[in-house]
Amino acid sequence: MKTLIKLEILRVLRNRKFMFFSVIYPPVLFLLLTAGQDAHKKLDGLGITVVAYYMVAMCAFGAMTAVLMGNAERISREREKGWVRQLRLTALPGRGYVTAKIASAATISLPSIILVMLVAASVKQVRLDAWQWAGILLCSWAGSFVFAALGVAIGYVATADVARPIAMIAYFVLAALGGLWAPFTLFPGWLQTIADYLPARPYAALGQAIEFGSAPHLKDIAVLAFYLVLFAGGAAWMYRKDTAKA
Amino acid sequence: MVGFNGVSKSFGDVQAVADLTLELHPGETVALLGPNGAGKSTALDLLLGLRMPDTGTVELFGGSPRQAIARGMVGAMLQSGGLMEDVTVREVVQLACDLHPRAHPVDQVLATADLTEIAGRKVNKLSGGQEQRVRFALATAGANELIVLDEPTTGMDVSARQAFWATMRAQAAEGRTVLFATHYLEEADAIADRVLVLHRGRLLADGTAAEIKARAGARRIVFDLEGLEDREDREDRDDPSGETPEAVLNALPHLAGLEISGRTVRIRSTDADATVHAVYAAGLYPRNLEVAGLGLEQAFLAITAEEEAANR
Repeated sequence: MKTLIKLEILRVLRNRKFMFFSVIYPPVLFLLLTAGQDAHKKLDGLGITVVAYYMVAMCAFGAMTAVLMGNAERISREREKGWVRQLRLTALPGRGYVTAKIASAATISLPSIILVMLVAASVKQVRLDAWQWAGILLCSWAGSFVFAALGVAIGYVATADVARPIAMIAYFVLAALGGLWAPFTLFPGWLQTIADYLPARPYAALGQAIEFGSAPHLKDIAVLAFYLVLFAGGAAWMYRKDTAKA
Repeated sequence: MVGFNGVSKSFGDVQAVADLTLELHPGETVALLGPNGAGKSTALDLLLGLRMPDTGTVELFGGSPRQAIARGMVGAMLQSGGLMEDVTVREVVQLACDLHPRAHPVDQVLATADLTEIAGRKVNKLSGGQEQRVRFALATAGANELIVLDEPTTGMDVSARQAFWATMRAQAAEGRTVLFATHYLEEADAIADRVLVLHRGRLLADGTAAEIKARAGARRIVFDLEGLEDREDREDRDDPSGETPEAVLNALPHLAGLEISGRTVRIRSTDADATVHAVYAAGLYPRNLEVAGLGLEQAFLAITAEEEAANR
């Protein structure tokens, strides 16, 4: 299982083009969204600056994009090519496959998060304590595992043709409802409540709580943990039970 | 040991495998023959637990296919088995070894599959035959008791094919069961101890290649006959006796088929000894006489045609 994890990570690192665009896209989007923003303008209803809000949102969004899109499409393609069939003829347990896929996705999400933070600090003068930087990095990274698992699950239910559109829809809806593009505080109350129980809002909320100077909320962690288990468990189950289609 | 017990599987209206019951024994090399769509791949999928039967059970070494695989008892080379991309041959074979509970050393696996020289090459840059060898390495990464091969030599050239079967024979000699599906009947004829003929999901024949050929029920007699070439001239002369060589040949006993081209006579006979005796008894003097069994291919065609006719 260790060999598989190592190989999956190596494959991602070797795929330079995919790596480059996945990593470069979130910081670029961050700069676009915050263009012309006053670096010190606070967000209504939240005690943080607009730029800091978007920094965490883009860390989350970038990580989410890379892992969700990358995993879903690659996995459905691997399934079609029959590699997954071949793997199922080994003693590899389902969780081994899912773990390796999450690990490879995490290899992409980490540099993209770091790059957004570097751009935010250097170009947009976001200033935070050292522990806050570390905390946001850790939360954004760990949270991306949830979406990596969702990517595996989508790669498993969808054929290669439709995996990309399904992953797109999933991440657009989740990102929009998670307040990753527009500040969450602009949502009506009922929508905020729904968003609290979807994965993207709690994900961004982890980093934003740290920006406030407090620890992430337990409820957000619990919601994310629930989705991680749901997606990863579902994907592992489908890996083993994939007897319907070759 | 390894067996199907009343296994059926259909996809919609198509009955891919129908009530299949058979057992494989240790050390046996078994060929699974059948035309396209006969259910070979489905049968192998069922055996490997890649698909679940609608009815019946598949048992491998006292457990389910999945259990047998988890214990490292089964290796398989699939026709549709894709390979991991962006990794080297050595890396993917190393992976198979690490995942196998009873693995062989990776260098040994590479050497057996004749991959040592291209171990550093990327998997997605291989020729078809080289890819097949990688799949073969994946199937033999450990001490499997059963090796399942679906059309294993597709894409291999003749020498690679021979080398491949030499390796497979060595595996069988160590007491392993080798089951392979193939299109190449001469392969089944030359390599398998036992041949299974599958047609429309049903097992039509199960025996040695010789038994299968015998079941098709005919032998082939070929010889040259002087005086046949100029038979047209003779017909012009209108031989009053009527005893042309053709008439004599047509009157031979146990005849199942007769074909004359030039001076070469090809006969299919259900009792070759009696037919040949009659040729001499009629005063003919055949040259270059050959008596041979039907090829497995002809036997196979005869058996499946019989079945088609029975269903009509």
